[in-house]
Amino acid sequence: MNRRQCDAGDLELGGGLEVLLAAMLDPASPGDEVEVSTASPEVARELPTWARRAGHDTVDQRTAGSRTLIVIRRGTSSRVVAPPLAAAGEPARLRPDGFNTRDWRLNGPPAAGADPNSGFVPLGSLAEAGTFGFAWQLNDRDELWSSDLAQLVEGASAAQWDASRDIPWHEARGLPGFLEQAVCQVVTFIAQNEYAAYYVPARFQHAVNPEFVEVLLWLASHVHDEARHIEVFTKRAVLNGAQAYALASAQRSLETLLQETDFTASALLLNVLGEGSFIDLLQFVERHAPDPATAAAARLAHRDELRHVRFGITHVRQALQKNPDLLSRLVAAAEHRAARLLDLTGMSPLIVEALTVMAAGSLAPPRLSKAAAAVRGLMKETAANRITRLQQAGFDAPTARYVSELHTPNLM
Amino acid sequence: MHPLADHRTQLKVSRSPVRAQKGTLKLGTPGRPLLVGAVAYHPRVVTVWEGFSEYFRRRGLAVEYVLFANYERLVAALLEGVVDLGWNTNTAFVAADARLEGSAVILGMRDVDAAYATVMVARAGDTVSPRDLPGAVLALGSRDSGHAAILPLHYLAKEGVDLDRVSLLRFDTDLGKHGDTGDSERRVLQAVAANEALMGAVGDATWVALKAEGRRETEGLKVIWRSPTYNHCCFTGRPELVEQAREQWLELLLDMDYNDPELRHYMDLEGVKRWLPGDRHGYEDLAEAMGIQGYLP
Ligand SMILES: [Fe+2]
Ligand SMILES: [Fe+2]
Repeated sequence: MNRRQCDAGDLELGGGLEVLLAAMLDPASPGDEVEVSTASPEVARELPTWARRAGHDTVDQRTAGSRTLIVIRRGTSSRVVAPPLAAAGEPARLRPDGFNTRDWRLNGPPAAGADPNSGFVPLGSLAEAGTFGFAWQLNDRDELWSSDLAQLVEGASAAQWDASRDIPWHEARGLPGFLEQAVCQVVTFIAQNEYAAYYVPARFQHAVNPEFVEVLLWLASHVHDEARHIEVFTKRAVLNGAQAYALASAQRSLETLLQETDFTASALLLNVLGEGSFIDLLQFVERHAPDPATAAAARLAHRDELRHVRFGITHVRQALQKNPDLLSRLVAAAEHRAARLLDLTGMSPLIVEALTVMAAGSLAPPRLSKAAAAVRGLMKETAANRITRLQQAGFDAPTARYVSELHTPNLM
Repeated sequence: MHPLADHRTQLKVSRSPVRAQKGTLKLGTPGRPLLVGAVAYHPRVVTVWEGFSEYFRRRGLAVEYVLFANYERLVAALLEGVVDLGWNTNTAFVAADARLEGSAVILGMRDVDAAYATVMVARAGDTVSPRDLPGAVLALGSRDSGHAAILPLHYLAKEGVDLDRVSLLRFDTDLGKHGDTGDSERRVLQAVAANEALMGAVGDATWVALKAEGRRETEGLKVIWRSPTYNHCCFTGRPELVEQAREQWLELLLDMDYNDPELRHYMDLEGVKRWLPGDRHGYEDLAEAMGIQGYLP
């Protein structure tokens, strides 16, 4: 048994005394005693009650001159149901430009499996027992992870932009009616696709075990990027008062993306195939836009999409490396989606025409002819790039060609 | 007539002593759950007893709880054998024990129920003691509260305060709950702060909980007196309760571990860190006070 002295001065309960007492009693062992010396007659009348409520015993109380001495014996209860905290370890690495997300896991990468019932336990902290009610659905690291997640998250933070102020909106006025109409149809189609790109990662956010915090940061950045894409292309669509169609063929294709419930299959269908095709389209729009606002929107969205596609490629490749059996499941997911889109035989003629008019900037036959060739080129290039990306994601060449052909003609 | 007799409570207890009634349920017999009565002074009481009965069930003792709207009904149910045990306030225990002619069995209490006290609160700027009460106003909580009404009067009288010359400002809220809700004590503090009373009596646990949380009710007030200590709540059993049921109940109750994460939530809601066996000794002052003040038949 240990007895320590505690000079409480004239501290009052609720005025700091309880903090001092906790600092002395928490680390003490059950049965240890603290002799509190107080100058406050109120504290002398209140402290035994405080001790009783905190699970301790008051074993002696006497006056010594103007002070009261109260001996509190520590009870057996601990305030936190957990082992003692570890002594401070090595500090985290700091780089010249700051604290990089790659450097915040002081104990290495997360374990392969996370406890589905674990609560919110920030990196490095010690979980108190007794949480309940959590039942995470995605608890397997390799079904979510990508080795460059931290870097991708850093990239997302560094590349944020503002759809209200970073686009030269004033320079997009005054296009001739037919051209404005074509641009409006193109950006409306893009915005439709951005909705799907928003909802697909958002559907996984609530299911990911918080142990994989980089995945949370990543998904949040992805969803946020897509929200901004919806915003910027919608703003371009309504900017000059024109109106376009939200085509049913696009909706049908996009709706099947939302049906996929597997994280890696979704990464394949959305990030690798869908967004992969989309970066080619955005590049085309940037190059051929008749106004600087449309070009800027396409350029900034394209920059974001490169990240999304990179995540998809790395994640699918690493998931396939860990589990080669996954291949057949991924192919089946692509086949399943294609089966639901059998009646979509090509990209909607309205979109092809709008892209052509936009690229031509005029209805003059020579310009239209050149633009039509450019759009055909885009489609060819997109198909070729899709196969390349599938191979980067770990598919052999014949499978890559097969899966690419299954991909929706809607681009996303 | 004792000067305090006109403060007689509304406790509705019939005056005839009760004996075990033949033909009623056999108490604590094997195969029949132990029925524990408690008063629903707050919705959390349901949560607590769901948690506690699950604990006892896991440990091999079937316990079912029955909730009552007030302690008078709980005491009556205990006396009639409707429940085997009552989770009683000290006032309810003394009332039941008197009807059982001193044969009620105590089967556990919380750590906070041992060494309970009443504190007297005054405005921080006033230099006063209980001696200043004659000619002044004393605020009290519900008249069926042991800690906020019955015992403060008793201890003040024992200290020689002439209570005939003290005006009592009573806050008889939530009668039947014996002060469990804390409402009348908050009103006592407000009355003292508003200078409607020179001082007021509240339970020490109520006061310290509010003070340690820095609650506004305690602002500008201080504790100027602390009563002798007494016991508060306890599990009260009828003398007929079979020995084996008593032992099993008490053993499991005392074995509840606050460091068990499954139990901590329920123990926190009940305000207990450790259960104690309890003892009759801590109710003697209250029994005397209730007798003098006319609360007992
Ligand atoms: Fe996007
Ligand atoms: Fe995207």
